[in-house]
Amino acid sequence: MSDVFDVVMLTLLIATAVTVARARDLLAAVVIFSMYSLTMTLVWQHRGAPDVAMTEAAVGAGVTTVLFLITIARTTRREKP
Amino acid sequence: MRPWSLLLVLLVALPLVAGVATLPPHDAPDAPIHTQVGALYLERGVAETGMKNMVTAVLLNYRGFDTFIEVVVIFTALAAVLALPKGSAPVPKGSAPVPKGSAPVPKGSAPVGKGSSPTSPSAGAARSREDEERPEVASDVPVSPVVRFVVRLLAPFIAMFAVAMLFRGHITPGGGFQAAAVFAAIFIALGLALGQDRAARLVPVDWRPWLQGVAPLAFALVAWIGWRLTGAFLGYPIHDHTAQEAMGFVLEIGIAVGGGVILARVFLEMET
Repeated sequence: MSDVFDVVMLTLLIATAVTVARARDLLAAVVIFSMYSLTMTLVWQHRGAPDVAMTEAAVGAGVTTVLFLITIARTTRREKP
Repeated sequence: MRPWSLLLVLLVALPLVAGVATLPPHDAPDAPIHTQVGALYLERGVAETGMKNMVTAVLLNYRGFDTFIEVVVIFTALAAVLALPKGSAPVPKGSAPVPKGSAPVPKGSAPVGKGSSPTSPSAGAARSREDEERPEVASDVPVSPVVRFVVRLLAPFIAMFAVAMLFRGHITPGGGFQAAAVFAAIFIALGLALGQDRAARLVPVDWRPWLQGVAPLAFALVAWIGWRLTGAFLGYPIHDHTAQEAMGFVLEIGIAVGGGVILARVFLEMET
C-alpha cells in the first residue's frame, strides 16, 4: 500500500517536473509547478514530516506561484526560442 | 551542444540514482538517521530543552544559530528586493518579438493585475457594475465577484488557522515559519482579490519598517536575554521553565510576524 502510494506520487513528481521544464507556455509551467509542490506536500506528509509539508504547501504551492504569476504579468508569457 | 548536455545530465543523474539506491529502506530502525545525532536529540531533547515538539527544539535550541542566520537571510533578501531600482523591469517596447497568439505586454504603466490573478473573461463587465455598488474597491482589480467573495469569506478562518499553528507549534507540527507563510498567503490573497490599497491598510504605516525587521530583532533580543541569564549567546535557562517558554514564545511570534511581513512585502514590491 505504502509502496504503491510512493510510486504513484514519485511518478507524478517526475512527470510534472519534466512537463515544467519542457513547457513553452510559462503560465502553464507555473500552474504545473504548483501541482508539483502539492504533490511534494503529500510526499512530505507521507514521509512523516508534517512541518515541511505545511511549509511546502504554503510557500511552494501558494506564495511562489503568485510571485511567478506576477513576474509573468510584468514580462511575457511565452518563452523565447 | 546536445551531446554535451546529455553527458552532463548523466554525470549528475547517475551518482544521484546510485546514492538513492543505496539508501536504507524507509522506517528501517538501524538507518543512520535513527542511530546518530537524531537519536541523541530524541533521547535527551525533552530533558535538555524542556520542549515537547522535537522539531521546535532542534530549530530553536540545538540549531538556534542556524535559525537566527536563516531569519537574517530572508530579511536580507527583502532588503535586496527593496534595493532594486523601480521600473528597471525589461518591459518590451515593441522591439521584442512577441509570438503570435499571445497578447502584447502593455507599454508604459506597469500592467498591474493583468494575468496576476485568475480573471474570467466576463470579469470586466461584472466589475463595472460591482464598482458602482462598492466604491471602496480599487477599480483596477479585475477579479470576479466569486473569487472576491470566497477570499473574503475564507480569510478570517485561514488567519485563525495560522494563529493556531503559531500557538500550538510547541506541541504539534507547525510554528513560526509555517504561520508566517500562511499569514503572508492571506495577505497576498486579499491583495489580489480586494486590491493592494485595502490589503495594505491592514498594517499600520508607522509599524511597517519595524515589522519588516521584527524577526531578526526578536532573535537578537532573545539571544541577548539568554546571554544575560546564562552567560551564553542564545542560551536558554533550562532550570527556569517560565523564562524559557517566554523566550521561545517571543521567537515564534517574531518569526511569524516578521517572516509574514517580509513575504508579503516582497509581493507588494513586485506588484506595484
